[in-house]
Amino acid sequence: MAESDAQKLQLMQELEIEMMADMYNRLTTACHKKCIPPVYNDAEIAKGEAVCIDRCVAKFLDIHERIGKKLGQLSMQDEQLLKK
Amino acid sequence: MNVTLPPGAGLENVDAEQVKTFKDFLISYNKLAELCFTDCVSDFTSRNIKGSEDRCALNCLEKFLKVNQRISQRFQEFQMLANENAIAAAQKLGQNPT
Repeated sequence: MAESDAQKLQLMQELEIEMMADMYNRLTTACHKKCIPPVYNDAEIAKGEAVCIDRCVAKFLDIHERIGKKLGQLSMQDEQLLKK
Repeated sequence: MNVTLPPGAGLENVDAEQVKTFKDFLISYNKLAELCFTDCVSDFTSRNIKGSEDRCALNCLEKFLKVNQRISQRFQEFQMLANENAIAAAQKLGQNPT
């Protein structure tokens, strides 16, 4: 019993790491798309682009958290509704 | 953690971790090539790659790496902040148990 619990925990942890990696990849693609125009006259990140990236990362993670909270709330409501 | 497969490495002592890292590298290589191709090459009146297209693609590569580096830095900062908050919250819970 204890062994299968440990296995479950490990599986959950692996899943969480995978989920984080996926989220990070999506964040990278999204912020690159939103902040870097497809004109490459220069290999340097322009000032405005840098600010855009910083804000984009912050906002993406903020939204990620908010959606997570709301999703948690909704699934809690659903569960309680099912119990009734 | 190992970064990439050394060229000509004996395949018998390659562990799953290295395979995963190599796979991730190949995926980002393909994504990068696709991005820089679509952004830099749109003229097909000639088979040859123009100087401007070559320059654009190389700039695209360099910038992509820099952007990724910056995003990773910001991400880590947020991660650290979230960790600190979680620890502080846990300590608070421990101090006044209800």
